[in-house]
Amino acid sequence: MNEQQRNEYLEKYNNRTHLFGRIGLLLGIVMLVGSPFLMGLSLDAMPDLSAFGKGFAQIAIIYIPSCIVEFLIYTPMLGAGGSYLGFITGNMINMKIPCALNARDIAGTEAGTTENEIVSTLSIAASSLVTTVVIALGVLLMIPLRPVLEAEVLQPAFDNVVPALFGAMAIKYFRKGKELVAIPLVVMTLLFVFVPSLISNVGFLMILSGAIAIAHAWIRMRKTQKKEAGEA
Amino acid sequence: MEVLDQLNSTPLYLISGGIILFVVAMSLFFLIRAYRAGIAIGMDRTKLKRTVTSSITFSILPSISILLGVIALSGSLGIPLPWLRLSVIGALHYETSVADIAARNTGLDSLNAEQMTPTAFTTIALLMSVGIIWGVVCMALFGKTYTRKLQKKKTGTKKGGGFGDLAMTAMFIGLITAYIGSFIGQLVQFQNGSFVITGQYLQLVTLVFAAGAMAVFIYFTEKKKLAWLENFSIAGSMLVGMAASVFSNMIF
Repeated sequence: MNEQQRNEYLEKYNNRTHLFGRIGLLLGIVMLVGSPFLMGLSLDAMPDLSAFGKGFAQIAIIYIPSCIVEFLIYTPMLGAGGSYLGFITGNMINMKIPCALNARDIAGTEAGTTENEIVSTLSIAASSLVTTVVIALGVLLMIPLRPVLEAEVLQPAFDNVVPALFGAMAIKYFRKGKELVAIPLVVMTLLFVFVPSLISNVGFLMILSGAIAIAHAWIRMRKTQKKEAGEA
Repeated sequence: MEVLDQLNSTPLYLISGGIILFVVAMSLFFLIRAYRAGIAIGMDRTKLKRTVTSSITFSILPSISILLGVIALSGSLGIPLPWLRLSVIGALHYETSVADIAARNTGLDSLNAEQMTPTAFTTIALLMSVGIIWGVVCMALFGKTYTRKLQKKKTGTKKGGGFGDLAMTAMFIGLITAYIGSFIGQLVQFQNGSFVITGQYLQLVTLVFAAGAMAVFIYFTEKKKLAWLENFSIAGSMLVGMAASVFSNMIF
């Protein structure tokens, strides 16, 4: 495949990713919003729309901004195919994003490239399938598995999956950008120690720490570029 | 028939199962397309297979914790709805809190099986589904425009490229540091003019042990050239961290 054929192929691939992704997501939305009504038909009890309205006002105020921020932040990390799949299958921060970034590291691809788009899609698709299989097996084996999974002695392990995941990821990423770690870490630690009520809003505050790290990276890159230009 | 029996009835399993099957089909379709595209543009088959293998091993442990979310919610909502919610768009940290908010708005004291009614159930199901759907709506409506803007023209696998790559690393560092800060804040808090140790240390112990295990994995993969270990490094480190939390809890 020569360069022109490759570009044409990729253009077609990307266009179709958007087409299939949009169709998949729209069908998913219709099915998901329709499912409580279908369940209602089976149970002979439709949703109470007035209670829905009151509850939605409470939930929307927190989750609509959070979903929009997630869309803006996660899409560049995952690329088009990965994002279409990632958003419909969910569990982004506790699984899909770290999974895709880990795959990117292992494959050695760079953000924004076609190779990364492909690796990211493969990774999110594989991850989604694993979750579906694990949950389906868990549901099938619910009776024998339940005592093991709910054993009191094992609860700390399952309560701490996110710290375990971020501990492992931290070493990988901190090595790649050692100089970017200190400032957001100190700012975030001070913020949470002195204003503990913010702990429940960690999802929002990661935007601040991310912005600090990105700004620091930008300043460092500009400095290096200026230095190199001066030497040249 | 008890409410929970109704919530675990075959038609509800069929509704949830049908939607989950659709998402499985979509994942398989995207997986096969991406694999074929990778081969077509000359990517190394081994690399593509390693991507899939490492993603599978990576996802097993977090998936088990998601399964626990299904089990936790099944006591009040039956199995089919939590199964659906945590397989499609759902997020572990979201579902439990939204289910509780939804339950209170339908007149229940909290999310519980004793007070559950079929109407409360379908209302909770609708709230849980609609509340979190906005990321998908944004992606369906604006995903194409947004990704096109972000897309760089260059291709290739060289490292250390433009600012995009550095920005992604920085963003993830920001994300991890926010979580680490929150774990520290859960252990040490400034309250009424003095520092208080809350005793919630398990997150930090887990984090430190997982990080230590990862450092050992990196040593073996890089210094001892055991590249195959990399596929299991995250899952292995997580297991070490989670085991440390169990033992710390038993000892202290």
